[in-house]
Amino acid sequence: MKNYFAIGKPLPRVDALEKVTGKAIYGDDLRFSNLLYGKVLRSKYAHAKILNINIDKAKKLPGVRAIVVGKEMSSVLGGEAIMDYPFLAINKVRYVGEPVAAVAAINEEIAEEALDLIEVTYEELPAIFDPLKAMEKDAPLIHENMNSYKHIPVIKPIENSNICHHVQFGNGDTSKGFSESDHVFEDTFTTQMVQHGSIEPHVAIAQYDPTGKITVWVNNDGPHRLRKDLAKAQGVPLKQIRIINPPYIGGGFGGKGGLKEETICIALAQKTQCRPVKILLSREEVFTSTIVRHPSIVKIKTGVKKDGTILAREVKVIYDTGAYAEKGPTVTIQASTAAAGPYKIPHVKVDGYCVYTNKTIAGAYRGYGIPQVAWAHESQMDIIADKLGIDPIEIRLKNILDEEDICPTTRQVMTSIGLKECIEKIKEDSAWNKVHRQNIGRGIACAFKNTKTPSGSATIVKINSDGSAEILTSSIEEGQGVKTILAQILAEELKVPLDNITVSSPDTDLTPFDASSTSSRTTFHMGNAVKKAAEDAKKQILTIASEIFKVGIRDLRIENGKIYAKQNPSKKLSISELITSRYGAGMDIIGRGSYYTEVPGQIGGVRSSQSIFWMYAAHEAEVKVDPETGRVEVLRIRAAHDVGKAINPLTCEGQIDGGVVHGIGPALFEEMIIGKKGEVLNPSFLDYKIPTALDIPEIIPFIIEKHHKEGPYGAKGIGEMTVVPTAAAISNAIYNAIGVRIKDLPITPEKILKAFINQ
Amino acid sequence: MDHLVNINLKINGEDYNLNVKPNTLLLDLIRDEIGLTGTKRGCDTGECGACTVLIDGIAVNSCLLLAAEVDGKSITTIEGLSKDGQLDPLQETFIEEGAVQCGFCTPGMILSAKALLDKNPDPTEEEIKIAIAGNLCRCTGYKKIIQAISSAVIKMRRRK
Repeated sequence: MKNYFAIGKPLPRVDALEKVTGKAIYGDDLRFSNLLYGKVLRSKYAHAKILNINIDKAKKLPGVRAIVVGKEMSSVLGGEAIMDYPFLAINKVRYVGEPVAAVAAINEEIAEEALDLIEVTYEELPAIFDPLKAMEKDAPLIHENMNSYKHIPVIKPIENSNICHHVQFGNGDTSKGFSESDHVFEDTFTTQMVQHGSIEPHVAIAQYDPTGKITVWVNNDGPHRLRKDLAKAQGVPLKQIRIINPPYIGGGFGGKGGLKEETICIALAQKTQCRPVKILLSREEVFTSTIVRHPSIVKIKTGVKKDGTILAREVKVIYDTGAYAEKGPTVTIQASTAAAGPYKIPHVKVDGYCVYTNKTIAGAYRGYGIPQVAWAHESQMDIIADKLGIDPIEIRLKNILDEEDICPTTRQVMTSIGLKECIEKIKEDSAWNKVHRQNIGRGIACAFKNTKTPSGSATIVKINSDGSAEILTSSIEEGQGVKTILAQILAEELKVPLDNITVSSPDTDLTPFDASSTSSRTTFHMGNAVKKAAEDAKKQILTIASEIFKVGIRDLRIENGKIYAKQNPSKKLSISELITSRYGAGMDIIGRGSYYTEVPGQIGGVRSSQSIFWMYAAHEAEVKVDPETGRVEVLRIRAAHDVGKAINPLTCEGQIDGGVVHGIGPALFEEMIIGKKGEVLNPSFLDYKIPTALDIPEIIPFIIEKHHKEGPYGAKGIGEMTVVPTAAAISNAIYNAIGVRIKDLPITPEKILKAFINQ
Repeated sequence: MDHLVNINLKINGEDYNLNVKPNTLLLDLIRDEIGLTGTKRGCDTGECGACTVLIDGIAVNSCLLLAAEVDGKSITTIEGLSKDGQLDPLQETFIEEGAVQCGFCTPGMILSAKALLDKNPDPTEEEIKIAIAGNLCRCTGYKKIIQAISSAVIKMRRRK
């Protein structure tokens, strides 16, 4: 075991003091002089033509400073993979809550009042809420111009349909596989619409300067991506857009990426003679008009031998992406690559469909589509084990990927697989599946998850003349602990204490490129960039030291912030002394680092089906079910995660604890309910319940470290993976407890009771 | 022009005499007029607990109260919890136990715990859970928060 200086230690977070004292600054805490308040008028219809928008009365209201409607907006459409999204509706609306017009006024009350004075005349169109109906041949088209939309090369829309993307992966010959199987299982699993539930709502402030440069302060999870998207939308060079993230973001989970209120805010700001305009979304708007987790239908057919060996698997997964594609197409791609599960299967066929409906837009959500497919393959794994009389752990151990096996869907050669270790950890509790108390059961589920590939991160490490150091990075701190992790990496490289280091917040004018703080990619990608920047800075320091000591660079070492001559330890200088003696009048050492993933199989240079790393996990749930009421109490969850290397075990455990509970909500009770007219019926935390302190079980996290050869110190990622296996583990435990199998999330008492009575 | 209401109140030990609009929320008064932004706005409808403050020692959602209603009261916000640079034991244990992630629920969470421990210095785990049941957190899964509150109990007992 390597002896590290700062890596692998459960150090307290570098941002914790600011946060416990209320001094941490978030988007809504930023203060501006001369601020105007923006509010958005939203569609009440799920699908309708806009015949007319009359803003005359609103314009006359004293205190109103700007009004915008869709026709005035840039004609460029937005979107991550398919450019289908008008920033304010043009000609028609496609979901309840879609932005139609916006107002900026001197206070919020006047802005609200002005919205009431805008008259919109609609002509209702038939709406579709069921993705299966939307896929039918003669279904009304939600995007009649879909064929003309620009998209990235990997995207395959099906012409004249509501299917905006169809992706296929496969290997072998599934019909041969099924014919050679002793048993074939066919099941359909479904999942519901879920909200991210970050406690901080979305907020943006936009301001023009007299040269036309636009600054946006926003809690977006990818400042450079946002800058690129906004520059494209505005038709200006990148340098004309400056994105500044507040120091802290109050939770994201994928919900704060892409273009949301930013473009509307800019359109208003363009009309205000350089006054800043702020749009702070209400909790209701966060529910109805940002994004959600894709509702899904997963049909899974699996052929197995008597001994439990999987021979063939076909998966058809339908992601309901709502009114606009947003990240739906790439959610469909990434999740389809994982849809057959982390198993050796010779014959595989996966069809992923991303389908428009007239509902709230679905997009990135912690797990990026994989919680839905994992719920299906892990539930079915237990159905198979039960039928064959094989222990659920043993059937998984028999089929899981080993080192150098190929990914069943993409044929990627898989390495750094810690899944066996995860499952073995769960198995260590020998009583695992032998609970004999009444109505108490245990279940296991395992899974794997990829990261978006290729992608890049760059950083600057600045070593000041007193030896303290700064990391200039565009990684956002949304709670995942990135500031602490990056500081630990630099501390390790320079062998200086953590409190000698500060980590910047993103400002695209100052901090270098980063793809986004998403996809569990930051420790790996930005971590590598920081490591390289530190190496670059160290090289410069050692070069200076070798000149001063008159010894070769290889004869020097850095320890505890000091540079020593190896042969003569009395020759030593601190970093501060060294910089000062070389640059008496003052200077910084600037280390540059950038990291870009190089993998085969890239399509158009944008996206590869191969992932630079895969995360692996196994969860075991123990539940108690009340057969009288159908109520499920989750008693305990043991969660083993292969993270490559835990840079900070304390924050890794925090991710696991939090992800487990984030997984329990959608497994048992969270669901956005859509009314007959397409309206969200429960857009509040009162009616949409997320877990409270009273809902949590005992949580036992296990960290497995299967070294990744390219990860910083062997590290991979963790954030998203923590929610992935929970629903299936709970469902399998419910079956183990009372023999009821629910295939539709959330597993409510009503569903359990109904199934129990019909047994 | 709105008719203004004159109120006297104490915030973090300091006296204020203020003229407030009758519809000003206590949350807005604290954030916008006093300038203490540690009190967070998460939902505006009393569902998330991010705006929790202590009013005469009782944990309350400041988005559900009008500023005019707190005339004569003493309010503690997160900024008022540490005294002379010395953190409250709860603040210390939240740092030590890793109970903070995004931090947006943290001020409200700590104040709900503070209200509990001031009244009940030796709570059971169930009592801790009930005390913070109105404070939503999406990051931590509550486990380390509960551990931090339990550790603060021990720390406070040792200090006595």
